[in-house]
Amino acid sequence: MTLTAYLLTGLLLFSLGLITVLSRRNQIAILVGTELMMTAASLNFLAFNRFTALDPVVGQIVVLVIIGLAAAEVSIFLSILMVLYRSRHSIDVEEMRELKG
Amino acid sequence: MDPTAITLATTFVPFLAFAVALLFFMRQPVVAKAIVLAGGLVSVAGSLVLLAGGPREPVRFLWFSSGDVTLHFGFIYDGLSLAFGAVVALITLCIQTYSVGYMAKDPAQTRFFAMLGLFGWAMLSFVYAVDLLQSFIFWELVGLASFFLIGFWYEKPAAAAAAKKAFIMTRVGDVGLFIGILIILNTVGMFDIPGLLDPETGLRAQVSPGMLTLVMVLVFVGIMGKSAQFPLHTWLPDAMQGPTPVSALLHSATMVAAGVYLFARLNPLFMASEATLLTVLCISTVTALLSSTIAMVERDIKKVLAYSSISQLGFMLMALAAGGFFAGVFHLITHALFKALLFLCAGSYIHHCDSMEIEEIGRRGGRKMRWTTAGLLIGGGALAGIPPLAGFWSKEEIFAALSHNGAMVFVAAAFLAALLTAYYTFRMIFLILLPASEEHHGDAHGHGHDSPAVMLGPMMLLAAGAVLAGFGGGWLARLLDVEREHHTLLAMLPAIGVVALGIAWAWWDFGRRSAARTGLVARVRPLHTLFVNKWYIDAFYAAVVARLTDLLASFFHTVENKGLDDGFDGAARGFVESGWLTARLQSGWVQSYAGTAVVMFALFGIYLGLR
Repeated sequence: MTLTAYLLTGLLLFSLGLITVLSRRNQIAILVGTELMMTAASLNFLAFNRFTALDPVVGQIVVLVIIGLAAAEVSIFLSILMVLYRSRHSIDVEEMRELKG
Repeated sequence: MDPTAITLATTFVPFLAFAVALLFFMRQPVVAKAIVLAGGLVSVAGSLVLLAGGPREPVRFLWFSSGDVTLHFGFIYDGLSLAFGAVVALITLCIQTYSVGYMAKDPAQTRFFAMLGLFGWAMLSFVYAVDLLQSFIFWELVGLASFFLIGFWYEKPAAAAAAKKAFIMTRVGDVGLFIGILIILNTVGMFDIPGLLDPETGLRAQVSPGMLTLVMVLVFVGIMGKSAQFPLHTWLPDAMQGPTPVSALLHSATMVAAGVYLFARLNPLFMASEATLLTVLCISTVTALLSSTIAMVERDIKKVLAYSSISQLGFMLMALAAGGFFAGVFHLITHALFKALLFLCAGSYIHHCDSMEIEEIGRRGGRKMRWTTAGLLIGGGALAGIPPLAGFWSKEEIFAALSHNGAMVFVAAAFLAALLTAYYTFRMIFLILLPASEEHHGDAHGHGHDSPAVMLGPMMLLAAGAVLAGFGGGWLARLLDVEREHHTLLAMLPAIGVVALGIAWAWWDFGRRSAARTGLVARVRPLHTLFVNKWYIDAFYAAVVARLTDLLASFFHTVENKGLDDGFDGAARGFVESGWLTARLQSGWVQSYAGTAVVMFALFGIYLGLR
């Protein structure tokens, strides 16, 4: 496997995540999309770590931070969603347009 | 004692009196009066001490300096300021004392006396000012104080209008003066009066003759406004709307005298500019003649005196412009004394006869007020120029100065003006003294009883001044450090003759038993109409100047309303509209924002890649 293959996989994962974030109306789906994008980022870090980094430890630390960050993010995101659902009985992102100018 | 401290006391104590009276004693007029009178007394004492000390070097304090320009505050102690300062302080005190009686029943006395204090402060500070800018500041304060006093009865629309007119018309002149001062700042860069007057290093040495003429003409425009010279004289008769003591103050030692004083102060500079002198001579001659003709037909005693003031101011400026420095200053001082006296007499008559009409005062037995009538005779005699009263000597000096340096036409005009002065003065006196008919009634008002002593006292003091001041000419000349030539009796004959002729004419028209009491002018219809309508100058201002100003104002109003206002409104509306337009982009739909961000980011990346 070459670096390019890893990067292409990362790009694919990122694009899928982005499309999900931009197109889905369900907020849980959007959450899933962001997770995908973060995974793509992690994959890139690991690939560069494997092929080009002088000190192999750096990339791995970053990935560990990303995983921790993702876990924290999911917990906060889900709790916000709970509150939102309780007050609006919907998690459809298209209905949330209070900030319309 | 230090002259600086004395001058500070002389000038500043009236201001303190003004402030204390107005701030703390609004409801205790007795205390306020006492304070202002005490302030006036301090001024008189201070100015007399200064006068006794004689001329000395000016003192200056640095106010501030910026770059090349250094501004001083200070006091000048030459014969002119010392003599005139004493006269101002003395007359102000006389009038303040007189007001105690005259204004006794007015509900707003404190304000009146406080303003008299303010007036005294402004005028005394102006007289002793060493710096031209300092002079200008107090010059304007004099105008402000007279605005307050002319409009003292501000609930009376005529008084409010007169105050406004006085303020605005003098301001028209002050604009000229201010431009002149700015030119001096620009060319010489200093305002120190003795410095400016210096022939080697002063204004004359530093600017071209043309520039000097321009500056002096502009300064004279200011003097025209302040000293009520044609064509800016119309505010002065209207200023009669103020209480009579105010008129006395305004017409004698303060306000109008400030203009003549400024001329005398800058006399060497005026002397250096022939063209200005000729302008001044022409304008003052026109003023002297024009206002005496109006005084010939005026029926209101205060207005007669007002027009006579304008005419006498013209006289002073004629003398000064003809090079008669001593004559002008001498007449300024004697006129201050006898004109204050005349106004106080007029106030006394008005107080008792409830009328300003000369004939009405005569009919209601004004002549039975013995002391007042004596004052009127002395003051009127001095104004007409009967020897040996004060006015005779100073007018004699003016004739001499004019015949030395002026063209014959000006001498003739001066004699004509003196003739008219004698005529209208004695018209007034005869109408009061020898009324055609007299009311006989013994009402409770007590006509025939004279004014209280507090009013008569100052009048007697001024009357003594009007009698004796004429003999002080030699002393004044020494104080001013000028040569005064000896006048023979023969040289005085024309002046005496002119006065006698004027009095005889007035006697023929108004005095003798079978006189028509209408006057010669009244029998010549067109002349009478012209004079009664004040040569249509006010009408001209109302019809042309005021209308032009209105037109200009409405033009600017339109520009402001239609152009600027609507323009800004339109621009603001445009911003609001465009705001609504861009607000539509903000849909509130988060995913569209994110999409836009991604697209922009991608475009930016492509741009960076391609670069």
